[in-house]
Amino acid sequence: MALIRSVFQDELDNVSQSLVDLTAMVATSMQKATTSILTSDLKLAEEVIAADEKIDDIQHESDTNVIGIIARQQPVASDLRALVTALRIGSDLERMGDLSHHVAKVARLRHPNAAIPVELVEIVRAMGDAAVRITEKTGVVIATRDTEMALEVERDDDEMDALHRKLISALIEPTWKHGIETAIDLTLLGRYYERYADHAVSVARRVYFLVTGKFAS
Amino acid sequence: MTTSHESENQDMQTSVKPSSLADVAAAKAPKTPGTSVLGTGLETRGVHAWFGKHHALSNISLDFAAGTVTALIGPSGCGKSTFIRTINRMHEFIPGAAMAGEVLLDGKDVYAPGTDVTKIRLQIGMVFQKPNPFPSMTIGENVLSGLKLAQLKVENKDELLEECLERAGLWNEVKDRLGAHGGSLSGGQQQRLCIARALAVRPQVLLMDEPCSALDPGSTLRIEDTIRHLSDSMTIIIVTHNMQQAARVSDYTAFFLSDGGPGQMIEVAPTSEIFSRPQDSRTESYVTGRFG
Repeated sequence: MALIRSVFQDELDNVSQSLVDLTAMVATSMQKATTSILTSDLKLAEEVIAADEKIDDIQHESDTNVIGIIARQQPVASDLRALVTALRIGSDLERMGDLSHHVAKVARLRHPNAAIPVELVEIVRAMGDAAVRITEKTGVVIATRDTEMALEVERDDDEMDALHRKLISALIEPTWKHGIETAIDLTLLGRYYERYADHAVSVARRVYFLVTGKFAS
Repeated sequence: MTTSHESENQDMQTSVKPSSLADVAAAKAPKTPGTSVLGTGLETRGVHAWFGKHHALSNISLDFAAGTVTALIGPSGCGKSTFIRTINRMHEFIPGAAMAGEVLLDGKDVYAPGTDVTKIRLQIGMVFQKPNPFPSMTIGENVLSGLKLAQLKVENKDELLEECLERAGLWNEVKDRLGAHGGSLSGGQQQRLCIARALAVRPQVLLMDEPCSALDPGSTLRIEDTIRHLSDSMTIIIVTHNMQQAARVSDYTAFFLSDGGPGQMIEVAPTSEIFSRPQDSRTESYVTGRFG
């Protein structure tokens, strides 16, 4: 029979792995959502919208699991930080899934028309790529607990913020010719990507706290 | 709580801002009329203990601010119980036992030549792991037995009896049978009776050596309530192997460890720090159950 402590360690490892898996799902979801909005692909958009429910289910399952471990094991120190952090990371990842879902819903709403004017496609593509890259790095941070990499995620987010500013600047140009509806769509899309990356930064900062017991300044 | 900087193991010890101690002590003014004066607290300076040639404890320097509860944790054999027995000079009862260092109560060394040991043990009471009431004495006689042994006189014994049993959280359960024998009480009640007995001589410091290890969870919680209540009027040091108990009842926690040699103090800090982000990896490993 396994020792109590090793059973507990396995449970902690499973919680961490579940968050890594959830991060991968969220990254895939955002990648597909971006493709759906850039190519007006309704099938792909529907796929992302359906996957959001699965992400929610996994987050609820992870929360239930963590609460059960806290109740049974009464963790302290880094074990306690790992479990409390897992609850909060799960919540961030769930929200990132929601934001991918919102991007896909814009694609579905405008289908079969293109939601993005041609001259802004590259900015949105770059935002989608940055979002996926940041999320993948966040998954590595959760798996390895690498605090240096956790701080890098925050710097990577600067790229997303710059793209967001560029997008908004295009919308408020006097030469804007695509109407209010498209401007609103793009304002919302820009916000979805920017917030998505902010949640990834939040996840990385929580890992920093988990490892060091200190909040990243 | 602060550790001594004169310690040869200074690098192993963690200092805590004195201001936090002052805050804790200031927040704990005596509330119960007639209870002992808190005093300025207890300090140990470079305490070592031996059993014959066996060096059991090395260089323990700790401050216990008045009105605080400090939990001593660590694996069996690390010297926790030996340490608290040096504080009220019970260590010297054991043949071949010796100690070095200073134990200062209100700034005066309890080991100074000419010190009245009986008086020290009145000021520094102790509650043991196994409840040890005098079985043939009544509940009332048990509580007042310390006064009799020390030949202390009180004006109103009934009032003192009620006060001590009340403070020990036992009054409501025994007020109608004070003439019953101490041995007729349950284990948890017997332990609270021992606490009441210790309180009757109005100690400034109460040492508790695993006081709940033989008790059920309900009795344990009642003793813990009593500890929290008593800390308003005295300084309490509790040895416990129950991490949750240390987390629940203490203001400060000190972690002791022996690596095969004499027991040492590895880390002391506010309890919330020890159980959320300990500084020493050995403390972390112990409180999370990775060893010990």
